[in-house]
Amino acid sequence: MKVKTWVALLLVAMLGLFMLSGCGGESPKAGDEAQPVEKASIKIGGSSTMAPIVAKVADNFTEEFKTWNKVDKSMPEEEIVIFVSTGGSGFGLKSAIDGTFDLGMVSKDLNDEEKAQFTAGSIVQIGSDVLDIAVNPNNPILNVKPDLTREEVKKVFAGTLKTWKELDASLPDRTIVICVRDLGGGASEVFDKSVMKGTPISPEALQIPSMGALAGKVMDNADAIGYVSSGLVNQNPDKLKALSVDGISPTLENILSGQYKIGRPLLMLSKEKPDTQEQLFMDYLKSEKGLKVVEEMGYIPATK
Amino acid sequence: MFIKTRDKSIAEKLIVAALTTSAIIFGFMLIAILLFMLQESWAVWSEISVWSFLSGTDWRPVAAVPQLGIAAMIASTLWVAGGSLLIAAPLGFGSAVFLAEFAPFWLAAVLRPVLNILTGIPSVVYGFLGAAVLVRYFESSFDLATGESLFAASLVLAIMILPYIISNSESSLRSVPLEYRHAGLALGVSRPYMVWRILLPLAGKGMLGALVLALGRALGETMAVLMLAGNILLFPSSWFSQGEPLPALIALELGSATPGTLHYQGLFAAGFVLLLIVIAINILIHALQHKLKNEVSRF
Repeated sequence: MKVKTWVALLLVAMLGLFMLSGCGGESPKAGDEAQPVEKASIKIGGSSTMAPIVAKVADNFTEEFKTWNKVDKSMPEEEIVIFVSTGGSGFGLKSAIDGTFDLGMVSKDLNDEEKAQFTAGSIVQIGSDVLDIAVNPNNPILNVKPDLTREEVKKVFAGTLKTWKELDASLPDRTIVICVRDLGGGASEVFDKSVMKGTPISPEALQIPSMGALAGKVMDNADAIGYVSSGLVNQNPDKLKALSVDGISPTLENILSGQYKIGRPLLMLSKEKPDTQEQLFMDYLKSEKGLKVVEEMGYIPATK
Repeated sequence: MFIKTRDKSIAEKLIVAALTTSAIIFGFMLIAILLFMLQESWAVWSEISVWSFLSGTDWRPVAAVPQLGIAAMIASTLWVAGGSLLIAAPLGFGSAVFLAEFAPFWLAAVLRPVLNILTGIPSVVYGFLGAAVLVRYFESSFDLATGESLFAASLVLAIMILPYIISNSESSLRSVPLEYRHAGLALGVSRPYMVWRILLPLAGKGMLGALVLALGRALGETMAVLMLAGNILLFPSSWFSQGEPLPALIALELGSATPGTLHYQGLFAAGFVLLLIVIAINILIHALQHKLKNEVSRF
């Protein structure tokens, strides 16, 4: 009896505390308690194209320095912790604005309205990417018709051409499986601007929640076509093949000269002026070492 | 230490008060969620008519002239969830009868914990397995253009809801008083006959309740259907076509929708519709269980 009563009282007390803490507004977040002076980590999120690049750079950065005072003598001796998560450019933009993330990753051009949100902060371009019109290596189109006009690409993605045969008579009579990013992806906006120009994407297109998964789908399915980051095509030369658009293939020269037009910048955003930690990491991203990773992953590094 | 009677009664009162408060708070929470969803989506209900939102088949939230219609998503949701019940119900009822009546004691003792563990597997794991195994299998062996389909989603959902159907049906079979079994066996009927003609009619309502509970869970499942249903905006024409169930739509687009836009409000409206469907199903369960109680007391 005695024990039961005490247990019951304890439960009541816990319940009461739980309710009170609910009223107390902002409860401290898990990461904050370890280091009371500075925030203990940098949180970065957004574009699923950029996440692997930035995560790799963050890894190198943490490996190389381990604690902040080794990066810069004036900094305290604290462990470097950088979180990188994905979710799409739209999510990155939104989270950078509302402060969910310290830095947002966005892989698309910002319009003026979006830029206006960052006048007090910073927008840093770490590189560029183009969208390759990618198909599976087993697709006979690579031998028959490796070059599409922009109009044809548009017709395929709009669903006007339903089978490969309708695109070219010598191709098999199989449904074209269109793979696109959902509305949250930066790529969907870039593709709309440079190819679709307002024509809606076919309602039959598979919406895939990340660029990595989109590339995976095209690798798996012989009838699939999708716009895939050039980086991912470069990383998987045997599993993904790019088609030329208007006679221009997405080679490095054509991208750099600006002839291949379905391109987009890779941007890091911060709402306010980056603090010292964030600035140090951004500097590293923009340094030779950071840009080397951008290049190794198959993207075009920003020129300094 | 002694605890005086008076102390105890104070403690008891405290407990009762605390429990009552928490019950009331949880009741309000549901109402608050409903009100919040309604408020966030109000623009949709007032600008676009309720009917055209529910029956429209065009979902172009970021076009110059936004079009919001979720008929295709509602159909996909119901199709995926209903389909999973179609697969899971016979299997689940069969397993429940086996566990309750025919399984040797040791086998049931092994199977029950296994079922409980199955309910604890995160849905993203199911979705991942489905995407890695089922989707590829369908593509290679059925000559489908894409392996993602409402059927693939239903199949994985069926596995996810099976444990719920089995354990709930089993407990309603077990709740049939022993006298009925004894009376049946005393009359010399076979065991299968007794199950078929005595136990199932008596436990039927409870088993139906288990089914409806599982349906509620299947409707709200997000991760597995997001990975398997294909997420196309077309109205599903068959079980084997792709579709985008409501939870998948919300999960895909809410991250990027700007608060205050019609897109954002449209997603909240879609969530509100999903919530209403699930609540309607819960009310159905309640009504069924109420009926069941009356039925049993009549005997």
